[in-house]
Amino acid sequence: MQDRPTTAELLDALGDFMRDRAANARDRWERFQFQVAANSIGVLLRESQMEDGFVREEWRGLDSLIGEESLPEGQAALAARLNERNDDLAARIRAGQFDVQGEEPLVRHLYETVMNKVRIASPNEAT
Amino acid sequence: MAEGQTSDTSRAAVEGLRQLLGGSATFGEPWKLAGGAMHDSWAVDRTDGAAPRELVVRVSPAGRADHEKTRREYEVLRVAFQRGIRCPEPIGIGQCATGEDYLVMARVSGDANPRQLVAHENFNAARERIIPELAEALAAIHLISPQEVAAASMRAPATGQDPLQFERRVVEETYRADLLNPHPAIEWAWRWLDRQLATLPRTGSAQCVVHGDFRVGNMLYDKHGLTAVLDWEGTHIGEPEEDLAWFCTRVWRFGKPGLEAGGITSREAWLLAYEGASGRMVSRERVAAWEVLQNIRWCQITMMQARAHLDGHTNSHELAAIGRRTAETELEILRLTGVVERMRGHAG
Repeated sequence: MQDRPTTAELLDALGDFMRDRAANARDRWERFQFQVAANSIGVLLRESQMEDGFVREEWRGLDSLIGEESLPEGQAALAARLNERNDDLAARIRAGQFDVQGEEPLVRHLYETVMNKVRIASPNEAT
Repeated sequence: MAEGQTSDTSRAAVEGLRQLLGGSATFGEPWKLAGGAMHDSWAVDRTDGAAPRELVVRVSPAGRADHEKTRREYEVLRVAFQRGIRCPEPIGIGQCATGEDYLVMARVSGDANPRQLVAHENFNAARERIIPELAEALAAIHLISPQEVAAASMRAPATGQDPLQFERRVVEETYRADLLNPHPAIEWAWRWLDRQLATLPRTGSAQCVVHGDFRVGNMLYDKHGLTAVLDWEGTHIGEPEEDLAWFCTRVWRFGKPGLEAGGITSREAWLLAYEGASGRMVSRERVAAWEVLQNIRWCQITMMQARAHLDGHTNSHELAAIGRRTAETELEILRLTGVVERMRGHAG
């Protein structure tokens, strides 16, 4: 286990630094660059806090749409397999499978996964 | 600002002016104009007494292979300017020995900053006036026939082909090429769009020139309203509803998402202004379908920009960050197709 500061504390410190540099920037270009950087730090912070739960939700949603599968061990394996399963889902949608079997469960899954992405990437848009 | 990294294109701008206007023309020092992720624009004053005195030289970096786009923009600007549409007068185009393409135009006064236009109290009067002015400019653009701009060789639907169907294929091709990871929500949006295409009323207009990037941010304005429509390089053949929908796409509302038309007015007020200016009826159903396609187009652009960083083409944390804006655009697609409302209704 790592020593403190925690991920969140370290990212908070970096975000404060970026915001301070934005507020005291020499010109518009520099201010914009530091604002963008501060926003990206915010994305990482929220991702470090929420993504684990979101990934598991997304996995369960895929289970109900394309068939159950047990969670792989380890972050990297999970991310790689989730990507493959999303490819599979995308291909089934494209092939028209859900036009036939009914869209409602699919659309609910899409809404929830997109909302979870937005909660991390652009929380102001999630309302 | 990043003057250091752009001094090369300033040299190209001056070289272009000399090629175009001859060795006896003299110029002041160029200064860089704000905006433009794709090009650099330089303001230059001609000092030998010949008109027009105030010029802009837009330079595409060497290697961007912008020759065809620049020629297209020049040809369309010539026709639009002759027709009295508010746009810069094009002076000429060419290519520097070092490969940069350039377009020289007469300078038009005005500001391009979109956030100031949609929010600042100094521009209250400009906001009142600019919607009818933009509607009038757009209606005039749409009166240009494909024959008038034949020299510009632009993409066009086949005779009798639905322009929305045609553009759907164009966007999908670039979308598939730029995809960085799977997007099931966008796959669903393609299906939604195809279902709409099967039942939509046919286009109500003959094929016409569309601007292709008509939005707040691609125009100049002052305190009295519109001074010029800019950035004509995406011009192609289609139907008016395409431009009307792009103007409403959420990314171009600049912090005023409740005002669908460019952060300035409602979607319906914008369509009514266009109907008033053009004398033709706009199909609300077609605009709604176009707006979904235009949001998919914006998804594709966010992927393309993130890809420019990830491929090592342009090392930029800003471009990388844009990759995470695809999600908010997917959410907008779910809003436009009624999914968000339905899901929140069920949740109580």
